[in-house]
Amino acid sequence: MSNCGTNCEETLREIQRFLDGELDIDLTAAINRHIADCHPCGERAEFQRHLKALIAAKCGTESVPPALMERITSMIQSPPA
Amino acid sequence: MSTKGETATPTDDPALRERFERDVLPLLPSLYGAALRLTRNAADAEDLVQETYLRAFRGFAGFQEGTNLKAWLYRILTNSFINTYRKKQREPQTVEGPDDIDEWYLFDRLGARSVEESAESTVLDQIPDAEVKAALESLPENFRLAVLLADVEGFSYKEIAEIMDVPIGTVMSRLHRGRKGLERALWETAKERGLLDE
Repeated sequence: MSNCGTNCEETLREIQRFLDGELDIDLTAAINRHIADCHPCGERAEFQRHLKALIAAKCGTESVPPALMERITSMIQSPPA
Repeated sequence: MSTKGETATPTDDPALRERFERDVLPLLPSLYGAALRLTRNAADAEDLVQETYLRAFRGFAGFQEGTNLKAWLYRILTNSFINTYRKKQREPQTVEGPDDIDEWYLFDRLGARSVEESAESTVLDQIPDAEVKAALESLPENFRLAVLLADVEGFSYKEIAEIMDVPIGTVMSRLHRGRKGLERALWETAKERGLLDE
């Protein structure tokens, strides 16, 4: 293990914060280097990233029922007292 | 939130109303999606969004332009949900959650079945949209909210802490346990739907 890198244990411990963009620049870079070189960690990181993207894609915006849109726009025009 | 303009409302300030329509209305599909995940039914979600918009409209003069509008709205949505719909839904207030779930719950289970590269992600992609939503909706609401705010809406831990009015450590713990609970729910779904059959 090089002194500027990070190891498997640290990578796996920090993976969620890494994927959430919550780590500082140095640790982010170190984990990026580690997962590029270490296949098992890279696979795990990719899986968690995929899972996060799946939730974002399937559980986000929904088409707004026209009746709700109508209720809100008329509320803006004449809000209840 | 600033209290400046306490007397002004967008009703008697056309510029303010215009800004509300320009900046807040486009967020409706995302807030409605979040409301559906929280209330788990369309009628309550519509009421929750309408209440959120009414509160936001009334408080809009106090919103500082240039600060985080989306976080401000999600905070109103969250508070409205907690004050109204949580009581109505009478869901047990689960503070505790899955603690006994392995760190790599889903990856290990899916990966153990196949030597193929990326087999784990392939199974995930086969889960129908409605089942992914159902898995998220099956989580206790504090965990569900944390996962929704982080993974769906992309808020930072700090923003989520402000929206949910809890310390960052609590956000991280809810997020962690929420995600583990989600993995377990997705695994059950994959099994039930026969997605694991060779």
